[in-house]
Amino acid sequence: MTHSRHYQGNPQKNSPALGATLAYLGVNGLLALLHGSQGCSSFIRLQLSRHYKEPIPLNSTALLEDSVIFGGWEHLKKGISVAADKYKPQIIGVMSSGLTETYGDDMVSALASLRLERPDLNNMPVVLASTPDYIGSMQEGYQRTVEALVTTLAGHQIKTAGQFDAQSIANSNEDPALTIALLPGCHLTPGDVDELKELLMEFGFKPITVPDLSISLDGHAELEAAPVVQGGTLLEDFQRLPKCRACLSFGLSMEKAGDILKNTYQIPHFNFPSLTGLTATDTFILTLAKLSGRAVPERILRQRSRLLDTLADFHDRLGGLKIAVALEMDLLYSLASSLVEVGAEITVALAASQAGIHRLSLPISIEVGDLETLEERAGQSTLIIANSNGRQAAGLLKLPHLRAGLPVFDRAGYPQKRWIGYEGTQQFLFDTLNSVS
Amino acid sequence: MFTNLTKLDLKDKPCLSEAGSPKLCMRALPGEGAERSCAYDGARVVLMPITDVAHLVHGPIACAGNSWDNRGARSSGSQLFRRGLTTDIMENDVIYGGEKKLKAAILEIATRHDPKAIFVYATCVSSLIGDDVNKVCLEAEKELTIPVIPVNCPGFLGDKNIGNRIAGEVLFERVIGSGEVLQEKIPRSINLIGEYNIAGDIWGIIPDLNHLGITLQTAITGDAKFDDLRSAHRASLNVLICSKSLTNLVRKMEIQYGIPFIEGSFYGIHDTSETLVKIATALNDPDLLARTLVYVKKREDETRKVIAGYKKVLENKQAILFTGGVKTWSMVSTLAELGINILAGGTQNSTPEDFQRMKALMDPTAQIIEDTSSAGFLKIIAEKKPDLIVAGGKTKYLAHKTRTPFLDINHGRKLPYAGYDGMIQFAETLSRTVLSPVWGHLRREFPLKESEQDDS
Repeated sequence: MTHSRHYQGNPQKNSPALGATLAYLGVNGLLALLHGSQGCSSFIRLQLSRHYKEPIPLNSTALLEDSVIFGGWEHLKKGISVAADKYKPQIIGVMSSGLTETYGDDMVSALASLRLERPDLNNMPVVLASTPDYIGSMQEGYQRTVEALVTTLAGHQIKTAGQFDAQSIANSNEDPALTIALLPGCHLTPGDVDELKELLMEFGFKPITVPDLSISLDGHAELEAAPVVQGGTLLEDFQRLPKCRACLSFGLSMEKAGDILKNTYQIPHFNFPSLTGLTATDTFILTLAKLSGRAVPERILRQRSRLLDTLADFHDRLGGLKIAVALEMDLLYSLASSLVEVGAEITVALAASQAGIHRLSLPISIEVGDLETLEERAGQSTLIIANSNGRQAAGLLKLPHLRAGLPVFDRAGYPQKRWIGYEGTQQFLFDTLNSVS
Repeated sequence: MFTNLTKLDLKDKPCLSEAGSPKLCMRALPGEGAERSCAYDGARVVLMPITDVAHLVHGPIACAGNSWDNRGARSSGSQLFRRGLTTDIMENDVIYGGEKKLKAAILEIATRHDPKAIFVYATCVSSLIGDDVNKVCLEAEKELTIPVIPVNCPGFLGDKNIGNRIAGEVLFERVIGSGEVLQEKIPRSINLIGEYNIAGDIWGIIPDLNHLGITLQTAITGDAKFDDLRSAHRASLNVLICSKSLTNLVRKMEIQYGIPFIEGSFYGIHDTSETLVKIATALNDPDLLARTLVYVKKREDETRKVIAGYKKVLENKQAILFTGGVKTWSMVSTLAELGINILAGGTQNSTPEDFQRMKALMDPTAQIIEDTSSAGFLKIIAEKKPDLIVAGGKTKYLAHKTRTPFLDINHGRKLPYAGYDGMIQFAETLSRTVLSPVWGHLRREFPLKESEQDDS
């Protein structure tokens, strides 16, 4: 542990509730409701908005002093019913905050009580994610929320038949043997998720992606800005999850959500800690080949061959890199391990939180640390990989700085980046090399 | 240990709705989607531009982690204020209390960063678990040679406005006039209250002040150094720029130090001139006033000459103004200078006085936007179909989805808009936005419907 200090200096962490918001933003028709004071949601909207360059719909129970004294239980009930009446969402997704977790609002009983008072809301699915600010980082909040989504909504019976359109009926008649559940971690950009789905389709699979940021936060002009999420996983897709041929989860943080599907519905589950790098992609592609019973498509082999050629062409420069990395754990592991396997040296590896620290390993030990620690230790490196907030460290040390993670607000196009698969790995290595030249 | 609200004079709070005004500053309802912020945010907005001090947030990561170094306040010297510092309250701190950790953090930061002072912000969680931030600051101060100043601003106290006022109290009680400072007034010196040097705004004002022989003692708190703030009581005049929420501060400074205050704005030609003349008048120096009158005339002519070309582009454009606080009315006159008509204006965080001023400046047919949620915003855009939107960064990406030219005037912007030079910058940027060819592409049908293709 690096923590001889009692404070975080230039934290790289984001709040768990921000991670929860991100997960909810990948679910179509969902209204995200943060149970906390107004600042909690305001900061999240601002942070996500400057990263994605997108409007971020996030509602709040707007707690004030009286609720701190009397509890926010009634506020939560009121928040859900006001939001349901005013915005008519298909789903409401609630996440808690440090404030409400400290005085211990019981969200489950609040919801049960509301359902008694408002039987007309009984058909409205409400997802409850517990995301106290004082446990973990964005990755943990996202993880808990995906688990809550899967637990609450998988196999969900839609009560009003009118909500089925022709498309969803067609979908439900699809061969379940071809349907694969994908659980992407928050280390994957909307661009990555798009790429991931395309790779699945190359093998003839029909992916159901939970959450699906590639069609909600991908930054497209057709979006009708609204208080509820547009694009993302459909409620009907959740209903089809139990019949999937397999579940593939990405990032160690998504392992538990995948296990929930596996244990509840007896679906085979495979977890891939990383999708960046040659060997990580090899493992993934071989799994797809095996599951599909098909040979690896020619196009993918060609991409692999190009990556190999790039490795040969740039092996010397890659081998000379000394890189200090500070990122959320799943992204840290994905990017750093792909650099290690091509001969680069990781000089500093700082994770935002404890999650997975005992299970994922690099040639140097991964420690929990902030960007002030990065600044103190990265002096002998040739490159920093961190979110945009690493700019202070990079500036002081006069080192090049490749932006990754969240927030990235001072570079164009990060959410559209594809750094997974053979082609994405090649692009990541190019981006890395170009940032030091 | 909570901030003593009665001490804050909230009784005369500017939140009583007046005849004809919408219910401003109304409490947000749960689930309503008002998209406002909290008292902690309000306090940090006011205090965090102080450049050479450390700002330590005693709370979980949500308070500081999501928000540090995210405003455009700029410094001519120390960059210490941009450092995100937080005790990062964890589960064990919630259980066992965070006071020890806080004290250790204060001492470590004092050693590591050598600040002129440390501001310690209490938050919802630290207040709820009963950490006595005042006591810890006092204890730490005894072991250090610098002031350690508690800011009791847990988010649940209310909106941003309340946080602004708390920050004003803190400045008055703990900073201004503190330490070993001289007492006598500096002639022809002013403080700019509520000017945060966003995108370097203040650097567009100082040359004009200096030219006239007016000294800026300090801005509160844009590009402010701690020692200059301590001597803020030596100024001859306070000029309240933005945020009526700091009225409490100027009133108290008037009573305690005999500093009169005036209100002003440096957005737009008219307001800049008017404010400079008001300053000269209030400083009670006939020679200065005479020079100022000549000077502002000259600057106005120069500026109008430069912006004439932009005005041609912008004249008669229909705009929606969606912003908050004092910016509502100061922006109305800026846009009017460029010949832009305002179809509707928003009033988030504005006081009834702000509102009345805005109403007086606007066309009587212009609408006041009462629903400041995203939904309300979209509704008004759909109804009014404006040529351009002028608003804070919060609504930027929402506005882009409506395929309407948009200009960000809030704290996220990169360009200074204050003073005469700021007006030129503003006009140039606004013209560039309106003239940009991208809006045409965004509004073009693609592919054309078959029937239309046949026609061509």
